[in-house]
Amino acid sequence: MAASRVLLVGVLATVLAVAVVVFLDGTQPKAQDIQAESVGVMFHTFVDSRGVTVLSPTVDFGKDFTNRTGLRVGFGVDAISAASDSCARCHQEGATNTRAYLNGSLIKTYGDTKVSVGGEYSRENFYQATTLSTSITRSLNQANTTVAGGYSFSWNRPQLHPDTIVEKQSSQTAYATMTQTLSKSTIAQLGYELGHVTGYQSNPFLRTSVDHIKMVGVHPDVRTRHALTARLRQALPGATYLEADFRRYLDDWQVHANTWSAGLSHEFGPKLTLSGIYRRHAQQGAYFYEPAYTGSPQYYTADFRIFPFDSNLFTGRMILTPSDGLMMFPAGSSLTAQYEFYKSTTDFESAIFTIGVRMPLRRP
Amino acid sequence: MTTTGRLMAVLAMLALGAASTACATVQPWQRGRLANRCMQFSPDPALTAFAGHWQESREGAAGGLGLQGGGCGCK
Repeated sequence: MAASRVLLVGVLATVLAVAVVVFLDGTQPKAQDIQAESVGVMFHTFVDSRGVTVLSPTVDFGKDFTNRTGLRVGFGVDAISAASDSCARCHQEGATNTRAYLNGSLIKTYGDTKVSVGGEYSRENFYQATTLSTSITRSLNQANTTVAGGYSFSWNRPQLHPDTIVEKQSSQTAYATMTQTLSKSTIAQLGYELGHVTGYQSNPFLRTSVDHIKMVGVHPDVRTRHALTARLRQALPGATYLEADFRRYLDDWQVHANTWSAGLSHEFGPKLTLSGIYRRHAQQGAYFYEPAYTGSPQYYTADFRIFPFDSNLFTGRMILTPSDGLMMFPAGSSLTAQYEFYKSTTDFESAIFTIGVRMPLRRP
Repeated sequence: MTTTGRLMAVLAMLALGAASTACATVQPWQRGRLANRCMQFSPDPALTAFAGHWQESREGAAGGLGLQGGGCGCK
């Protein structure tokens, strides 16, 4: 039933966008796509209070072969060193993991409509995922309105380490958004996303207490997820820009969450942009969550992701775009440096540092 | 009215507000500031994708950033 609703939303979003393509005429410029005709290289470092360090180099590449056909490719690795608590239980000397992913999408442009088809494959120790996705975007009303819809299907294979049993899991996601120019200085976006996950959804690495015995959690094997989003971008006087986002999330495990963020960016001339963003997340735990269990519960969990908790995220970002190029990189290249600090009421803290360069494939 | 109800009402009002101005056209020559990188919802998709990945590995809520991938075996 829920799966059919996901399909229905996906089909409706696609039909809506296709209907708009067929019946309406737009003559608008294309939306900016920073990945078009560029190569981006980034290094992310994630360090948390469990002693886990993750180094994640990523590369993305965008190339428009003709006015109507473009390709986007991304590749990344998560090199995870030191062990999380769940790993250290069995590997006291430490354990490492590596996750690698490769994604790509082909984009075709038909007038003011963009259609993309793509996929992603990711693999790590004891988990692999294959995703196929499609989306369509259409500009309307002289590019004052943009509607978009998309659908993806993922086929995931978690392995119940240290056992060799491989479980099955699949997820479907459909979304629709509408972006509206409200004035010469204001843009708003509304979105809805529906997800449906079936199959094994427990975490084989995390154990909870059931009658004082540590046991791997047991979660329901169906989950339907909803996310409503409202986003705003406002240009303020003096080369300053406001961003404000809100997401209301709910699912049938009764994980309900409100996430909002607000930030300011200021351009110090054409070369330097500084941003500061604050994000607040507050969620209610799954209906079967308990700190410890007694008796014979049908479901039980030690997965911190579905506990009740609040979190705060602070982000500072600098983007430097020298007019005559960035060291050995061509003019138009930009340097991004970002620092984030995350703290949750589950006694978890992390710091994330990102540095990267984006280079244009064509001279500006 | 519950908190959820109030949030839904705010979202509905935002939607109505957006829809009611859908015919108010901003001309291309009036879009200098709208075209600024800071006005984009995901100015760098690589940064957005990374943020979505690590946040989903810590939080039960997800979505709203575009299509989801297959997740990870987060420990």
